[in-house]
Amino acid sequence: MNKSILKLAFVLALGIFSFSANAQKVYSTKTGQIFFNATGGIEKIAAVNNQTDSKFVEQTGQMIFAVLVKGFKFENQLMEDHFNENYMESSKFPKADFKGYITNIKEINFAKDGTYPVTVDGSLTIHGVSNKVSTTGTMKIEKGLPQIEGAFKIKIKDYGISGMYIGDKIAPDAAITINCKY
Amino acid sequence: MKKIILSAIIIILFGAAAGYYYAFVYSKNKKFDMENAESIAIDATALVKSFQDNEASANQLYLDKVLLIKGSVGSIAKTQAGENTITLSSEDPFSSVLATLDSTETKATKIGDSLLIKGFCKGFLSDVVITNAIIK
Repeated sequence: MNKSILKLAFVLALGIFSFSANAQKVYSTKTGQIFFNATGGIEKIAAVNNQTDSKFVEQTGQMIFAVLVKGFKFENQLMEDHFNENYMESSKFPKADFKGYITNIKEINFAKDGTYPVTVDGSLTIHGVSNKVSTTGTMKIEKGLPQIEGAFKIKIKDYGISGMYIGDKIAPDAAITINCKY
Repeated sequence: MKKIILSAIIIILFGAAAGYYYAFVYSKNKKFDMENAESIAIDATALVKSFQDNEASANQLYLDKVLLIKGSVGSIAKTQAGENTITLSSEDPFSSVLATLDSTETKATKIGDSLLIKGFCKGFLSDVVITNAIIK
């Protein structure tokens, strides 16, 4: 008898768990955009990654952005090779990601089209080094579909990236711009 | 003496011009010959499984290499930048091969087609990411 009650309780708990898991609405994209610009001189040092993998949970604001470093496209192939080999060491550190939360997610009405300001806190990992990042951006809701846009700057040296042109042709601060449609 | 200086200047100028051409003109316009590049042949399921089982060793084998991947088209879409993408399904419904096609690739495909695609492996996120892909 006790065993049957236990089994029933287990099945019920599993059911409730699955229901709550299903109730979490997750938005995702695998082809979002992250731009990077570290132009320090006349020559443009900028790239885009069009295969940004990103997800966020509507209820909690938990979010992740992940990119493959070798997926950044430069206008100049030689520059792309230098970026990967001499600065980002992308064979050793193939990914960069941001994990955090939209802290004011409750202020967004997903049922109403509009542009909402968002604040984001989390941890950014580049070149195997993680740093806390806080920034602001916008969440645009159009026909129920969200789009996140944001921009912030990082100090290249904070991520253990060194190289002879940093502070010269390469700006010491790189601008990161995010544009993801979910 | 003057001749030596003049020759040195000419050599330096020539070197500088060649360097400039290589760095800013040749490199910018150089197009990788994907069609004839050597490649590693693998099927989509095995490729995804290889990354799921041991990402570090899969990276060593495939990262930035040209792969010739066999698989069945699971979806066809576009990136936000307007590039065409194809996913090749694996046995895991949550993970596939996501290939962004080269802008010169115009062959038509449909979901369910069995395909061979050739492109650069850029690593693994939710899917194995392939860029500059062409359809063979």
